[in-house]
Amino acid sequence: MPDSGFPWPIETTRLDNGLRVVVSEDRTAPAVAVNLWYDVGSRHEPAGQTGFAHLFEHLMFEGSVNVAKTEHMKLIQGAGGSLNATTNPDRTNYFETVPAEHLELALWLEADRMGGLVPALTQETLDNQRDVVKNERRQRYENVPYGDAWLRLLPLLYPPGHPYHHATIGSMADLNAADLATFQEFHSTYYAPNNAVLTVVGDTTAAEVFGLADKYFGGLAARADIPAAPDGRTVPATGRPAVETVTADVPAPRVYVAHRTHPFGTPGYDVTTVLATVLGSGRGSRLYQRLADGERIAQPDLVGAYGVDLAHAPAPLIATATARPGVSAERLRDGLAEVVDELATVPVTAAELDRAKALLSTMWWRQMSTVDGRADTLGRYATQFGDPARAADRLPAWLAVTAEQIAEQAAELLGAADRVILTYLPEEK
Amino acid sequence: MSLIATRPGPGAARAYRFPQVVRRTAAGGQVVAAHLPGQNLAVALLLLDGGAGREPVGKEGLGAVLAKALEEGTAQRDATAYALAIEALGTELSTGLDWDSFQVSVQVPVDRLTAAVELLAEAVRTPRLDPADVRRVRDDEATALRMDWANPGPRADAVLRAELFGAQHRWGRPLYGDPDSVAALEVDDVTVFHSEWFIRPGTLIVAGDLDRIDLDALAATAFAGAGGGPVERGGPIDVPLTGQRRIILVDRPGSVQSTLRLGHPSPHRAHPDHVPMTLAGTVLGGAFTSRLNHLIREVRGYTYGIRGDFASSRRFGRFAVSSGVQTAVTAPALVESVGEISRTQLTGVTEDELEVARSWRAGQLSVELQSPRAIAAALTTLVVHDLPDDYHARLREQLLAATVEDVSAAAATYLHPESLTMVIEGDAAVIRDELVASGLGEVLDHT
Repeated sequence: MPDSGFPWPIETTRLDNGLRVVVSEDRTAPAVAVNLWYDVGSRHEPAGQTGFAHLFEHLMFEGSVNVAKTEHMKLIQGAGGSLNATTNPDRTNYFETVPAEHLELALWLEADRMGGLVPALTQETLDNQRDVVKNERRQRYENVPYGDAWLRLLPLLYPPGHPYHHATIGSMADLNAADLATFQEFHSTYYAPNNAVLTVVGDTTAAEVFGLADKYFGGLAARADIPAAPDGRTVPATGRPAVETVTADVPAPRVYVAHRTHPFGTPGYDVTTVLATVLGSGRGSRLYQRLADGERIAQPDLVGAYGVDLAHAPAPLIATATARPGVSAERLRDGLAEVVDELATVPVTAAELDRAKALLSTMWWRQMSTVDGRADTLGRYATQFGDPARAADRLPAWLAVTAEQIAEQAAELLGAADRVILTYLPEEK
Repeated sequence: MSLIATRPGPGAARAYRFPQVVRRTAAGGQVVAAHLPGQNLAVALLLLDGGAGREPVGKEGLGAVLAKALEEGTAQRDATAYALAIEALGTELSTGLDWDSFQVSVQVPVDRLTAAVELLAEAVRTPRLDPADVRRVRDDEATALRMDWANPGPRADAVLRAELFGAQHRWGRPLYGDPDSVAALEVDDVTVFHSEWFIRPGTLIVAGDLDRIDLDALAATAFAGAGGGPVERGGPIDVPLTGQRRIILVDRPGSVQSTLRLGHPSPHRAHPDHVPMTLAGTVLGGAFTSRLNHLIREVRGYTYGIRGDFASSRRFGRFAVSSGVQTAVTAPALVESVGEISRTQLTGVTEDELEVARSWRAGQLSVELQSPRAIAAALTTLVVHDLPDDYHARLREQLLAATVEDVSAAAATYLHPESLTMVIEGDAAVIRDELVASGLGEVLDHT
């Protein structure tokens, strides 16, 4: 077992305004990854404002006090860099990887939109990006078969009022109602230096980054009273499964089985991660062996299971299968449920456990093989667990999971009474 | 609040370096490797001359079916035992094909590379190919394609390809075939394709810490039992332009977006104007900051994204624009897209735009070539297109040296807005009249 999943140096500091800065030097390639995690996600959105955190992420690319509209992209790409941002229920991250000589440019751009977005935000920009996001919703969720599965699973897993009840993309109605003042307030509330972690990995030194961070971010004011998201750590059991069946324009029946497990970062969720890999990752997994190969009721490319790595409430475990031609949704659903049930009754063998841990090890080192992968990981651990060095613990924790722990968790959390079942049926033609 | 108003300039530029490339002949095959000191992960990839371009017309999807069939058991063990053996090393068998090559690879912590290559070679050289398994894999693949073709895009792509290249040619049909072509494949098609293309040694690509990797031992494993020499790969194909702009409407009733696929033929990969042509494509549609994305997304809000580029293989190429736009704005989005293509062809690019495009393309050679997987892909480019070890360094210099005149000339020469085939997959009943009224070209219904 490796002692550490992060065998690179980590240096940290905190500016007077509360901005945490994390640096990991690596001179292998002449590139640096710059990554900002803001501790704000769709879990912070009140009713009527779903989709706002994500729409806001779009606005962050549309100019700030010293950066003209669309100039952010142009400057990073003009420097040879790659960039993007993502929003999920937990947080919003912004990141760019640039040739090392452009580190200062990237930090200047990030500081300018952290401290100077509001004066540059216009109604025209908001209207334009609202349209872009509505098109994103159409393209990713509405115009593809099964595209709304995640939108349907969340309210089945989490009750109204829970911070994970609604999806990050939001509703069309709420997006339509978004007004400029709300977004200005959103930025003032959450985009404060003391609500963010700046991580830089690559061809630089901690001293250089700390100096530049102070130069560009040091003048920004902290915000004292950043409101917390609703507490979602306890989800009351209902004592009965949540079942939804959708008839839609889909090419074959598909079933999702989902459960609430533990928050990402806890020992319980490490068990979930290994359990999900045993259950549904690769051709040697139980779902593939039983449903795709054995009974041959599921399509081989479309069977699997995974945990969704959310840290602020019991995170979902999702297993899914799509029917082979001639196989009914009922038969598929029973088959899928049976394999999940057996995690509690049929012990995971040493070979199954070793296979899962080997796949997870490769997955971990793949994430670590690029400076951007490492920067995002350090930002996550600093934001969610207060210490980037805890990133080193994840892989050893996975490798320490036992078959008994998997059986115990399956018995405790994956029972039929706690189950969410979402079934898609093709329309009658 | 205080912000620094002055934008900082760049620091001292770092020297560009691509990893050291090692080439050798060993055990009857070629090895091309990149040294990544200290990298804990390694990739080995067997590159075979068995791409889709080798599939006979009417047998589209053969390579994709064979790729899946490789894992249905070998001379030594059945499918389950094989899956457990290779996944116990922490890797799956990754397969991929394009027009020029077939690729099989593994990605593992470096100390497991030898064992992983043994299993890779076992599947490639000695698959069981039991007829019942091959038939089942074929049927599964046909079903998988049917699932995929229920999404917007694959049908439009296929229609565009057939229009550009002619469905009588293999390269005028979909790269992975279509549900019907795959369903019609016979067991013999698969076994013959394997014996024809998967027994030749090919090239072993390795990306990893070569201080911890024995390349000769890997070569001996990868090439054991292989035989047969290289086969003539054929020269560039001359694809005529249509000279006539047309709209082909693919009906997708109820679609909330229209899928746009616009294109025309363009030069093959080894064409001397490859670099300026690529940069013209970048300015027009290849980057987030491109003309098309700026206008159609950032100004109009018609789409989540639109891109256009020149893509090429050894024998042919194409220019294409693709997007998904809200149904109600299908015609204006199309008109404005064609307008940007025409404007770029007529008036070329500006220095301001080109500065971003060449810096971006050059910088990507540092930024995106980090992981063993990305380095292995870069090595396959060297092999497939017969390029030298210092190709990436020279490409970087060519990109940075390209002038407005070079790139504008390439735009004028290789963009053909008058010959665009415009495939629109969407709700025909809603969008047909507007498309006809746009006056962009004759509107045909795909049947």
